[in-house]
Amino acid sequence: MSAAQAEARAVVGSPAAAGWWRARSARFIPALLLSPSLLFLLVFFVLPAMGLISYSILTQSPDGTVGLPLTSAHYQHFFGTPLYSRVLLITLRISLCTTLVAALLAYPTALVMTRCAPGLRRVITMIVIAPLIVSVVVRTYGWELILANGPTGLLNWLLLATGIVRAPLRLLYTEIAVVVGSLHVFFPLMVLPLASALGKIDPRLEDAARTLGAGAWRTFRRVTLPLSLPGLAVGCGLVFSLTAGSFVTPAILGGTGAQMLGMLVDQQILVVYDWPFGATVATVLVAIVLMVNALSSRVLRRRDTRVLS
Amino acid sequence: MGGPVAWFLMLVTAATMLFILAPLLVTVAISVEASPFVTFPPRGFTLAWYGRILADSEFQQSLAFSTLLALGATAGALALGVPAAFAIVRHEFAGRGAAEAMLLSPLIFPVLITGVALLQMFATLNANSTALNMLIAHVLVTMPYVVRTVSGSLLLADTVLEDAARTLGANRWMVFRRITIPQIAPGLAAGALFAFMVSFDNFPISLWLADAQHNPIPILVFQRIANVFDPSIAAISTLMIVLSMGIVVAMERAIGLRRAVAI
Repeated sequence: MSAAQAEARAVVGSPAAAGWWRARSARFIPALLLSPSLLFLLVFFVLPAMGLISYSILTQSPDGTVGLPLTSAHYQHFFGTPLYSRVLLITLRISLCTTLVAALLAYPTALVMTRCAPGLRRVITMIVIAPLIVSVVVRTYGWELILANGPTGLLNWLLLATGIVRAPLRLLYTEIAVVVGSLHVFFPLMVLPLASALGKIDPRLEDAARTLGAGAWRTFRRVTLPLSLPGLAVGCGLVFSLTAGSFVTPAILGGTGAQMLGMLVDQQILVVYDWPFGATVATVLVAIVLMVNALSSRVLRRRDTRVLS
Repeated sequence: MGGPVAWFLMLVTAATMLFILAPLLVTVAISVEASPFVTFPPRGFTLAWYGRILADSEFQQSLAFSTLLALGATAGALALGVPAAFAIVRHEFAGRGAAEAMLLSPLIFPVLITGVALLQMFATLNANSTALNMLIAHVLVTMPYVVRTVSGSLLLADTVLEDAARTLGANRWMVFRRITIPQIAPGLAAGALFAFMVSFDNFPISLWLADAQHNPIPILVFQRIANVFDPSIAAISTLMIVLSMGIVVAMERAIGLRRAVAI
């Protein structure tokens, strides 16, 4: 063994070298584990999304190619045309209604889910989550059967048979139908965060409020509701942004009666082949969704700091 | 809880459960409807629609494609998502929070728009293999779910056992294979099942990328809702509901439904 080799072995074997190797592998291993997924996301998610958004400020020539000059004409067209503003308004209205009704219905369900006996809790959890695993197309088809116009739709048949109405109601192809369908699709995403938040509340706080003389409603309003706000914020953010971005439910249950932004994107790109305008509508939709998410995480953060201070 | 308030809450919850189950039960009921049109009240019982669907070559093709696509997407999502989940749960490094946010970001972005963006990129690059494009897109939408479910399992796995094995002389790979994997196996299984179902059910990505030869089941059902009015759609839907319920039971057995969907 030469002197140099001996020295090399001594260096590798020394605690300092081992520390160096550990420090290096500590950085190297996570990079190795993460690089395939992050690279995949960069190539097939970040770049295409940026490409699509950039299309919204480019010009499409008559032969269909998209390029310079930069323009804000598509946004002016979108916000300046009553037809498109109406689609935006309907999208916001349907998303807001769905979120509010979901929150109202989710509170009782989440409360029962967190306070009832384990057996019943299991059943409710199954019923709440199971539809999440069923395709949106299938669930929306079920609603089409229930809400179908004319005397052969389930709800109309029931209303006519019980004598509640004389003539069948027009239920399908309305905004209400889209709200009902969206509510069904996204309801679990309101109940589950809410149930988690409610589950974390110390029951002794409510007992204390009761002992101090607060009634059921006052206890809920002053103790349970404020403490469950993080769950409500998450649920509202999820339901609003997912409803705003939906396609299947408005396409089947709303049709031309309740056109939403997702359908407009589909129409502009697959029917009209107007890529820049389709990209513009898509960007507006993305902006709404990101704003709602930022808002809900701000509510969460503000609460955290208030609790700490 | 007790008294009239509790009764009121129970009543609202029961009504909500009925609301959730109604469209699924109605679909199952219509799938055995004897009349050639979907009408209420039902006219009689038949299993003919199932026979017709199972013999339908278009349906068979869609079923085969959807199954292969979901299997491929699940494999891809596991291959990319499991190492990523390990990195963000088991390693401390600068930018870990950012990496996690990035991995879950496809869940926040509207899936419909992710689909258009991919269509635009594939069209620009002249990438014309529908099957490959759809596989990439489905890996993209399923991977965040795998990351979420597997991270959850890793957080709950006991690291003391791993330290003990290491102290007893096991090397990193042995610890991983003999201690870590068995502990998170149910989580991996649940993540894989969830990813399979997310791909199998996906509509908003496939809408943009599918073609006549590569037509997943949800797209087929959507197309038929518009122009087929007999109960055969209800029969396909019922088969999909049954498959979903099978997956639900399997996920509940593996780690519990609530943890599997990780919301």
